[in-house]
Amino acid sequence: MIVLGLDTATSATAVALRLADGTTREARDDPAPGGHPGHATRLLAMTDELLSHAALGLEQVDRIAVGAGPGTFTGLRVGIATARGLAQSLGAELVAVSSLRALAHGAMGSQQPRALVATIDARRGEVFAAAYSPGEGELAGARALPPGEIAALLGEAGLAEGERPVGIGDGAVRYRAELEAAGIHVPADSAPEHLLRGVAIAELGVTAPSVGYGDVLPDYLRRPDAELALEGAGGGAS
Amino acid sequence: MTILALETSCDDTCAAVLDDDGRARSSVISSQHVHDRFGGVVPEIASRHHLELVNVVVDSALEQAGATLEEIGLLAATQGPGLVGALLVGLSTGKALAAARRLPFAPVDHLQGHVAANFLTDGDGGPFEPPFVCLIASGGHTLLALVTEHDGYEVLGRTLDDAAGEAFDKGARMLGLGYPGGAALEQLAAGGDPTAFSFPGSPGEVRRGAPRKAFAEGLDFSFAGLKTALLYATRELGSEQTAARAADLAASYQAAIVSSLITRSERALERTGLGRLAVGGGVAANGELRRRLGELSATVHVPERSLCTDNAAMIASAARYGRRLEYPDYLSLDAYATGETAR
Ligand SMILES: [Zn+2]
Repeated sequence: MIVLGLDTATSATAVALRLADGTTREARDDPAPGGHPGHATRLLAMTDELLSHAALGLEQVDRIAVGAGPGTFTGLRVGIATARGLAQSLGAELVAVSSLRALAHGAMGSQQPRALVATIDARRGEVFAAAYSPGEGELAGARALPPGEIAALLGEAGLAEGERPVGIGDGAVRYRAELEAAGIHVPADSAPEHLLRGVAIAELGVTAPSVGYGDVLPDYLRRPDAELALEGAGGGAS
Repeated sequence: MTILALETSCDDTCAAVLDDDGRARSSVISSQHVHDRFGGVVPEIASRHHLELVNVVVDSALEQAGATLEEIGLLAATQGPGLVGALLVGLSTGKALAAARRLPFAPVDHLQGHVAANFLTDGDGGPFEPPFVCLIASGGHTLLALVTEHDGYEVLGRTLDDAAGEAFDKGARMLGLGYPGGAALEQLAAGGDPTAFSFPGSPGEVRRGAPRKAFAEGLDFSFAGLKTALLYATRELGSEQTAARAADLAASYQAAIVSSLITRSERALERTGLGRLAVGGGVAANGELRRRLGELSATVHVPERSLCTDNAAMIASAARYGRRLEYPDYLSLDAYATGETAR
């Protein structure tokens, strides 16, 4: 089975191929600091380049795995609309993968067996976060929260006294101080485990249940501001 | 070559299948009625709905056309102008549908789409062939275009502030008619005197020969002054009198918008020496505008209502004549929010 993995939950555009023999290839595009994400312009172009280098065409892809977030709303929609359109036109299988779980999956190999707190910068002073065990079991589900309240997530994850989880992702890099204050170890900013990799999406996509091409939607974790304003709910994640 | 087109620039999720001869085999429009309670289209909510609906709408368009993807020779989608987040859903979907089959792809300018609606073979009188002057008036755009070819237009005039449809909606809100209020305002106006109040651009004002600045020379439109004039009129009248004279206010306000559109269209026809006018955009459904268009001494073509409001058949029609890119040259296309790419 040939799996194409796509993720646009972070500012990066991540693409990977997992071939029938289990080998993988990947490409990524990280915008320059302060630059705009290249999701719309890079995603399909990088997919085409990656396939060409593997001497393959889209028509040979059996399954498309797409990161469903949480992450930037417009980015997620570009990735998911692209994945849905490809699946619809190719007649290929489509699977959705949590972008936070993919972050954790990508970091597992490089860490001592310790719990992981996967984070994605949610802007507006919040992070999207979830906690995973070394075996990738979910300890605390995805939510949006201010980094200063990350202790609540650790409490729910039921970590043992003195256990020091590893914080990864662009949220952990940006809010290093807040996470470290909560007893989370955050690897160096340049550490590879902070990157959400396409390979992780493709690998998790192998076993994820296949769904209809109209059924994958982003895991927004936040309602539109206009709805909250109308209800006078005053913000916050639902 | 059979064309499959998508349009998601605002709050309608649209797909259509067009035949070689310019006949729409299907045109599916899924309107989002979720914005009314916000008093306007909310971009984030529109984008979410587009993604929920887009593949289903494509399937419906294929099914209603009795077609399959195998038979499609060209994909098309609106590239701009519009809400970028909304556009990106249709553009990403269209590019992916095309890439998977190595089909060519046509990125379409939304306003060129409104122009190209006139090239469709519809029941009454189409296609309407260039050269002609095209008036596009909707909630998002107000534009006069000179159309001499099938694949482009020259902008003769455009609104400097609000769009005509926006002016209708804002007026309706001031008269307590809710959102969207264009149709309600028209209904209310039917029982009123269009000369009761003198608004910028209204027939009364023209008669007095005292045009204000908004009614300036040239072919540009401006509706901001009109909106302010209505606001002052309602303040002056007070809530009781405003309610009592709502029909007169609505009729005068509507007459001012319509006169502004008609006067500039006439001027464009005069200046270009063309005796042919085409109309597009949601405001083309307005009965008073249609009545005044009927009085013009020009050949006027108004596509059927479902082709005037946003739809994908018009995008397919534009794609039929416009720029098309071969695989993989379109993979890097991005959406754009503003401006026209008329060539
Ligand atoms: Zn339009």
